[in-house]
Amino acid sequence: MSYYLTTLLVYGGVDVIACLGLSQQFGIAGVTNFAFIIFQAAGAYAAAVLSLPPDSANGAFQTYVGGWQLPFPLPWLGAAVAGGLLALPFSILVGRRLRGDFAAVGLLVTAVMVNLLVTNYRPFLNGDAGLALVPAPLSNHFDPLSTRYQWGYGAVAVLLALLVYLFLRRVTESPWGRTLRAMREDDVVADSLGKNLRSLRTSALVLGGAIAGLSGGVLVGFISLWDPAAWSFAESIVLFAAVIIGGLGNHTGAALGAIVVPLGFLEATRYIPTNFGRPGLVPALQWVAVGVLIVLFLWFRPQGILPERRRRLAGLAEAATPAPAAVPAVALTGRGGSAAAVATGPRPSARSGEVVLEARGLGRSFDGVRAVDGVDVAFAAGQLTGLIGPNGAGKSTLLAMLAGTLPPTEGSIVYRGRDITRLPAYRRARLGIVRTFQLASEFRRLTVLENLLTAIPGQRGDSFTGALLGRRYWGAQEKAAIARAEATLDRFGLAELADLYAGELSGGQRRLVEIMRALMTDPDVLLLDEPMAGVHPLLAHQIGTLLLQLCADGMTIVMVEHELGIMDEFADPVVVMAEGRVLAEGTMASLRSHAEVVEAYLVG
Amino acid sequence: MSVESRALPRVEGLPLHARGVTAGYGGDPIVRDVSLSVEPGEVVSIVGANGSGKSTLLKSLVGIVRIESGSVHVGDRDVTGWAPEDIARIGVGYVPQVDDVFAPLTVQENLEMGGYLLPSSQVRGRVEFVVGVFPRLGEMLRRRAGKLSGGERKMLAMGRALMLEPSVVVLDEPTANLAPAIAHSVLGEHVVTLARTGASVLIVEQRAKAVLEISDRTYVLAGGEVRMQGAPAELQASDEFVASFLGGTRIAVPDGTAATPGSR
Amino acid sequence: MSVFVSSIAFGLVAASVLAIASVGFTLQFAVTNVLNLAFAAVMTASAFVAYWFNERGVSIWIATLAAAATGVVLSVFLNRAVYGPFRRRRTTPIGIVIVALGMTLIIEFGTQAIAGPTNVSYRMSQGRTLALGSFRLTLAELAIILLSVVLMLAVHVLIRFTRLGKAMRATASNENLARNSGIRTERIVTITWVISGALCGIAGAVFGMDAGTFGATSTDLFLVLILAAVFLGGPGEPYGAMLGALVIGLGTEISAAVFVSDYKDVIAFVVLLAMLAVRPTGLLGART
Repeated sequence: MSYYLTTLLVYGGVDVIACLGLSQQFGIAGVTNFAFIIFQAAGAYAAAVLSLPPDSANGAFQTYVGGWQLPFPLPWLGAAVAGGLLALPFSILVGRRLRGDFAAVGLLVTAVMVNLLVTNYRPFLNGDAGLALVPAPLSNHFDPLSTRYQWGYGAVAVLLALLVYLFLRRVTESPWGRTLRAMREDDVVADSLGKNLRSLRTSALVLGGAIAGLSGGVLVGFISLWDPAAWSFAESIVLFAAVIIGGLGNHTGAALGAIVVPLGFLEATRYIPTNFGRPGLVPALQWVAVGVLIVLFLWFRPQGILPERRRRLAGLAEAATPAPAAVPAVALTGRGGSAAAVATGPRPSARSGEVVLEARGLGRSFDGVRAVDGVDVAFAAGQLTGLIGPNGAGKSTLLAMLAGTLPPTEGSIVYRGRDITRLPAYRRARLGIVRTFQLASEFRRLTVLENLLTAIPGQRGDSFTGALLGRRYWGAQEKAAIARAEATLDRFGLAELADLYAGELSGGQRRLVEIMRALMTDPDVLLLDEPMAGVHPLLAHQIGTLLLQLCADGMTIVMVEHELGIMDEFADPVVVMAEGRVLAEGTMASLRSHAEVVEAYLVG
Repeated sequence: MSVESRALPRVEGLPLHARGVTAGYGGDPIVRDVSLSVEPGEVVSIVGANGSGKSTLLKSLVGIVRIESGSVHVGDRDVTGWAPEDIARIGVGYVPQVDDVFAPLTVQENLEMGGYLLPSSQVRGRVEFVVGVFPRLGEMLRRRAGKLSGGERKMLAMGRALMLEPSVVVLDEPTANLAPAIAHSVLGEHVVTLARTGASVLIVEQRAKAVLEISDRTYVLAGGEVRMQGAPAELQASDEFVASFLGGTRIAVPDGTAATPGSR
Repeated sequence: MSVFVSSIAFGLVAASVLAIASVGFTLQFAVTNVLNLAFAAVMTASAFVAYWFNERGVSIWIATLAAAATGVVLSVFLNRAVYGPFRRRRTTPIGIVIVALGMTLIIEFGTQAIAGPTNVSYRMSQGRTLALGSFRLTLAELAIILLSVVLMLAVHVLIRFTRLGKAMRATASNENLARNSGIRTERIVTITWVISGALCGIAGAVFGMDAGTFGATSTDLFLVLILAAVFLGGPGEPYGAMLGALVIGLGTEISAAVFVSDYKDVIAFVVLLAMLAVRPTGLLGART
């Protein structure tokens, strides 16, 4: 009986740890790693070969690498390291811009193949038979078969699970965790806000991998054997099922899923008489049940038993600032001495009228069609330049090239005298060139406040080490950031939306969130792609006024719009494009009398 | 604008009536309370600035976009909410703006797909007819549609729609991405020919001036609603017409002095 | 050298089995845009149904019809009752993959629950061995190759020359335009799953014949080969799948003879990853 309970504890601990690792990769960072089980296997094998004596011992009936007989806790550390290291080549596979399901298939197949290779290549890890007689930790001090040892092991497993849980909570409930979730929601947008996707994905994989490896190490020390059957591809599916059923994006949910699925099944079958049906029926039915659970949950409750919690951050910053009404317009940008400002470092200033961003002979072709054809245009500081033109004129393409989300096929882009043509989008964002998108691109499962917070650059908590150092390290800055975000929301009259999920807002509200989010990056150049589409005229007017204020502070704004009345009021100069080329430039009024412009619009 | 006098087949044109159509993609409607009609033998055009909802309107008429309220009638039948294939089956031919051909299929196969509903004995004859209308297609029957140039693709797209002898033809910006000369021939010859067979022709265009030249009636769409309608001559004479394209409430006085820009 | 030549014979058989499966898989992707990872599981279930008939004295070649029928039933069920609803709900492609994996568990282990965990074999005679030097094939193997060739020809005729086949290609290329041409695409999609389901079932039976003995999880590795063949030729391209099957089938067997036999399937793995990395639309697919 006690043996049964201790086994339960150990398996429970191990499953929880593994699922937490997957939760970090899949639930938080959105990396669908179907090869996850390999990481646990790597950890188990590493712990085994680190603690086993050289393979010539024991009558040499198994062959493997290693065999250094290291004492506890080194094998467990080695297990975590192995899992983490294995993640590195995977981060190369995962980063490519491949369709989600194609990438998943690649990982799935990798898992199957690695299993095949290990099974067939005996000298590495004893092939099909696997490793046996793995010494239990501290077995020279205690008798591994004694009840005291067993209970101790169970307690350690549970303790470790708790520690991993607390560790992940700390790391996830931080600005860094928020950035991971933003990447999960929309990686292209996260990229445009200055997030380095590759390094984020790699760290998510390494972290999850190390945790998975640790779980393998703990397990192998207890059951003292490990073979390829233990980490068949089907086992990966079980872990995914656990995380999905427990609750995607919620570590507590993942832990719950670990208990319900892998552990729950182990237990449920104990109550079925051993000779029920024919041999092998019960395990087969277990698998069928897992499959059924996966499909049913994905249909009826895809968010899992414990869905991802809404982070309510509004009002957490009350201590920091006086009433928002007193905050001057400058606080919107965080520049100047407002207490609500987040120190972002000085932005280079420019005299009004000085050219800040320039396109020189810029061109872009798609399948032989010249979407943008030799465009020379300059944008100056302190000016709100409008960009108009009929459909297919190339406005959005030009904007995308300026922002770095689309590479040009010819020409160059110069920012403050520096050629940035080859610079990727996230680097441009860090320089201060930020864009909004034409189609809805808010982070849907982040709250409005979180959407704004992700954009703020230079947050201490927005790195793995920063997150690790905890709230004491990044808390004060976060409070200031929240205050600044709330002040901005207030300015736009949307304060009551702070804790709503961005995906729940109306079209016009989502547009505004995008604009506010772009403002949070403290941009030097703001590239807006149809910001007023679907926005109430009064609000559009308000936004326009705010944009002009920002220009007065020295910002450079480029705005693509169809609503030409807006251009009348706020944009000067206005650049007209047609068929990929610049047609004319001037105030909206003067353009209306420009014969070619009128032709372009009417002729199309 | 010479159209060779050929013996054009006559079709049983059907009128198309949209009444109070409101449609969108879920969320806020893009098209609001639009009513229009096309009678057999007419060319009716819809023009308007970008984002005015022209494309969405057409898609709702052929069943691709959901109609939230209002109705659409083809002849006597109420086709509101019908699936696109059923609307095609009562004789509505649709030429979309993009994705207008089956790229991996040959020109011949594209036309055959257009004639999917025909009894197989008639297909060959119809292909010959369409090739008669668009002789260029006859030279390229074995070529893959994806390899055609812009103008050739558009001809194929229209030819495909023609295979069923449609009673109503709906075209979404057929001259988009075409060189001006080709655009003029597409509008002046091919679209006009469609109407001459007796079909009701509804066409959305960016090239407002060009399409007005061939239209019997025109609707101007802005912000998803019908802003103006009437005969092209009347519309072009009105101040409001240009304004609804360029925004603002005043337009320039012809002697070059700019009028005060409208501010809303 | 003789090892090389005899491996070509094995390769042709392997390619034949793979071709039937890969073409079925790719047709499903073409019209539904879904990677039906439960395909191999349906093959298994069909193989076992054939076994049930075979055990009761039916010739395995006749029992293959039962396998085909099983394939049809399960495939149509998958499309209409499982993938269809999820797709209408706009589930992400990854979500659909997870659903497919869930269905794989259900079908594969459901089969095992019913049929038992031991591996089984068909009762069939291999027939005489025909030999041309080291190139040896049994009559049964030759029959498999012929069956595959016949099925490939049938698919070719279907998609190239029949009205239905062209409608399938039209639906696969541009569903909206197909509907605007009056094609009832929903019906066409179902018919495609019927045809590919039959191919799946036949592939299952033939797989069983070629493997000698098989169990409920024997097709897991085969799925990797199918994916490699499909992605080599281009997902959604039937001729690509045929080409891919030939290359992978021959490639794995030849490399098994020339190099080490244990890792023969690794070639498929490398090909698949390479295609995903470099040209996911495949050799015959349009460059995106």
